[in-house]
Amino acid sequence: MSGTPAKSMLRSPFILIVGAVLTWFIAAFLVWPNANVLIETFFPDGNFSGRAAEKLFSSQRAMKSLGNSFLLAVALSITVNVVGIFIVLVTHYFRIRGSRILFLGYATTFIYGGIVLAAGYKFIYGEKGIVTTFLLTIFPGMEPGWFSGFFAVLAVMTFATTTNHMLFVANALKGVDYQTIEAARNLGASTWTILRRIVLPMLKPTLFAVTILSFLTGLGALSAPQVLGGRDFQTITPMILTFTNSPTSRDLAALLAVILGVATILMLAVMSRLEKGGTYFSVSKVSSALQKQKITNPAANVAVHAAAYLLFAVYTLPVVLIVLFSFADGAAIQAGRLSLDSLTVDNYVRVLTQPSGLRPFVISVIYSAVAAVIAVGGLLFVARILQKHKNWVTAVFEYLLHIPWILPSALLALGLIISYDHPNPLVGGAVLTGTTVILLIAFVTVKIPFTLRMLKASFASVNSSLEEAAAIMGAKTLYVFRRILLPLVLPAAAAIAALNFNSMLDDYDTAIFLAHPLVQPLGLVIKANTDGAEGVDGVSNTFVYTVLLMVITGLTMYLVYGRSGRRPGGRGRSKGRKNGGPLAAPGTAAPALPVVEAPDAKASAPSPVP
Amino acid sequence: MVAAAVAATLLAGCGAGAAAPDASSSSPAGGASGETLVVYTNSNGEGRGEWLAKKAAEAGFKIEIVGAGGADATNKLIAEKNNPIADVAFGLNNMYFAQVKAADAIEPYEPAWAGEVDASLADSDDDKAYWPLVKQAILLGYNSDKITAEQAPKDWTDLWSKDEFKTRYERVTGLGTATAQLVFAGILSRYKDDSGDLGISDEGWKQVEQYFQNGSPAVAKTDLFARIASGDVDMGQMPSSIVAEREKSFKVNVETVVPSVGVPLAVEQVALVKGTDKKEQAQKFIDWFGSADVQGEWAQQFNSMPVNKNAAAKAKPEVVEFFDGLKQQDIDWNFVQENMGAWVEKIELEYMT
Repeated sequence: MSGTPAKSMLRSPFILIVGAVLTWFIAAFLVWPNANVLIETFFPDGNFSGRAAEKLFSSQRAMKSLGNSFLLAVALSITVNVVGIFIVLVTHYFRIRGSRILFLGYATTFIYGGIVLAAGYKFIYGEKGIVTTFLLTIFPGMEPGWFSGFFAVLAVMTFATTTNHMLFVANALKGVDYQTIEAARNLGASTWTILRRIVLPMLKPTLFAVTILSFLTGLGALSAPQVLGGRDFQTITPMILTFTNSPTSRDLAALLAVILGVATILMLAVMSRLEKGGTYFSVSKVSSALQKQKITNPAANVAVHAAAYLLFAVYTLPVVLIVLFSFADGAAIQAGRLSLDSLTVDNYVRVLTQPSGLRPFVISVIYSAVAAVIAVGGLLFVARILQKHKNWVTAVFEYLLHIPWILPSALLALGLIISYDHPNPLVGGAVLTGTTVILLIAFVTVKIPFTLRMLKASFASVNSSLEEAAAIMGAKTLYVFRRILLPLVLPAAAAIAALNFNSMLDDYDTAIFLAHPLVQPLGLVIKANTDGAEGVDGVSNTFVYTVLLMVITGLTMYLVYGRSGRRPGGRGRSKGRKNGGPLAAPGTAAPALPVVEAPDAKASAPSPVP
Repeated sequence: MVAAAVAATLLAGCGAGAAAPDASSSSPAGGASGETLVVYTNSNGEGRGEWLAKKAAEAGFKIEIVGAGGADATNKLIAEKNNPIADVAFGLNNMYFAQVKAADAIEPYEPAWAGEVDASLADSDDDKAYWPLVKQAILLGYNSDKITAEQAPKDWTDLWSKDEFKTRYERVTGLGTATAQLVFAGILSRYKDDSGDLGISDEGWKQVEQYFQNGSPAVAKTDLFARIASGDVDMGQMPSSIVAEREKSFKVNVETVVPSVGVPLAVEQVALVKGTDKKEQAQKFIDWFGSADVQGEWAQQFNSMPVNKNAAAKAKPEVVEFFDGLKQQDIDWNFVQENMGAWVEKIELEYMT
């Protein structure tokens, strides 16, 4: 994993081809459109104006909101890791009763988010919420509005964003070599020491990657502060959105976005530095699959069980209420009153019998699937090269690929429009606006940074000696990639593709500017049916769409995980795997003893090279 | 070499994937979509879009409606001006259309029904590019079960100057919506002062400051009427067209305040998009849509107040009556249009808390 000089890298035809395609893609779809929109924003008449900075820095509200966003980002990087690691450990590392059920509860964050999630928490802990009402009977003097402000926002966002831990950290955990753990225990190490000195260090690349994502989630927080932040804890994103929509204030939006973007890149640089030089794969000659650990201290065991089930309740209650409320009428939802006898299927009938029918669902599913596959498929090569060759060229490419994290999606969309509304040599003289391709390009680009980070992290935990062995035996670059590396990272790649797919299903910000008028995706239909100004049905429609999206995303996760998790594993130590819950994605290390359960059975171990 | 060839094939596969939805879903716009007119609007909710598409089909127009919020639709029209996708836009108010026109994205056209509408509500330039369809009053409404007409505020400024209302009104938390912008247009344009900041006197800005220092902030995804019903607040801003329906849904009674200066009117307009390749068809559609018959049916269906004088007869009598008795606030729209962007920015940065 040491650095390769840029020059020697250029001798590989594989790298040259991937590099050429990548250079074109970055130039055409990341640099050029966004440079255009930034130039138009900051140099409206060809002259730079420092107006935006002056206005922003003298605004108390902007500075406070910006500070809140940063506070949330930093706090979330910590709390999500704490909760995330805990739930991964109780579902995948410790022997906990009912860990499968627990897993399903924690996995609810895979399938929903946004404003409805925040509303779900409000139904429970808000002023008229179930828990608050209950607490008030015990402590009559309690403040009914206790669940608001920074604390409430942080709590909700922490529980809502452990998805990446459940997918990627859990996956990396399976790669931890059990023999090392056994050896440590024989030497007298405690459970805690083993965790701290053996298990967690192996998870580092993945933890770094998900920490960046948590930081970014905090910076971009929108709906949770709006619903629960109250007067004192508002974040900067609503202001960015308002200013993006106003042509005369767009420079302020762009400047704010750039500030957040630079912070993200700094975070990225820090994490990359921390990650450098570590060895994150099993080095033992014969490694074996993880077995679940019993917590020996009875008090600790009870405490961990209690905490696990308490978290389970916290995770699942909002989902249950959202599903119930989706059958109630809009007035009841907004008042937060639920009477079981007034639930009807009217909301579903109304949404599903619209003239547009299922067409928007189909369009969104196709767009999201194609975009998710292209993003992951293309970046598999790129992530591999960036992870293997570390020099200034790959560093530049890596940072360029993070451009979509810097600008809000509405600005990305505007950049694509102004760059490709006329024949442009970058795309062979074609006009892209008004075609169905432009939205696909936007979907793919928006997903690049996330995909790249997670893929790179999973390549980082692949044992390089396998690859070296294959190379010594004469395997070609692509053969090694296809037969050795790909099977090892495939589970992570599938998870990334599924998450990408899920997140694009209800996209509005990009689609509103780029969708073909005859091929309108779901986000536009949802917006038309749920906007605040669209009548009382709007709110109930929001809930119905959320539940319908839960069904689609839940189905996606089931297709990616559920089936492979239940497939009988004939090889290796199936006991460890069986307890792994539905997320029995294979470990990324230790292929010597094939714990890999890749869809392609042949791919489990390096085959003899011809 | 073999590896390179395989890599090339794989990447080509990705490339083909990128083009796939183009081939599979539908043909690209711009001529190939035949005579289908693409109509942008922010007025497609609550079944309006479907109703219009159906009526238009009966009249021989094939239309595809693209719905977007007012600001989004405006930005989209402006962004696409070099290669327009829309043929017609409607529903945006005069403030939004003024921006679109300033960006040169719509072109002047005089519809067949131009004589049937009050031209003062249309584009104020000589080469009129947008024409009025529907009138909407921007009102201050209060819970009339709780507050009598005598006790009720007499004007917006009472909300923050009288103690009994200070905590009882809902204030906005963002100025992204047309309704909120029009409320502030109505308040600020009373304090026009050429020497003041952005054309508004210090006194005027003080009103804005007071508005935000008092009041109960709006709650995301909770309608004002829901908050009135639960007793959270008693009053707030509302466009006239929603009042009757929300009163019913939330089982509250709401009366509206008519200040002595009158109320701001938002006028939804229609315009021909510049550079459309279906110009003739688009013009025919505008002639049809703004006609007294269609506007009358639209008003009947969606409780709106048509601008077309001949259509007013078909509108709901209570709606017509309400607008007949309504005093319109005299607002210098050119002044408002020139400054609204800067006002929103200043309010967002300095006064909102």
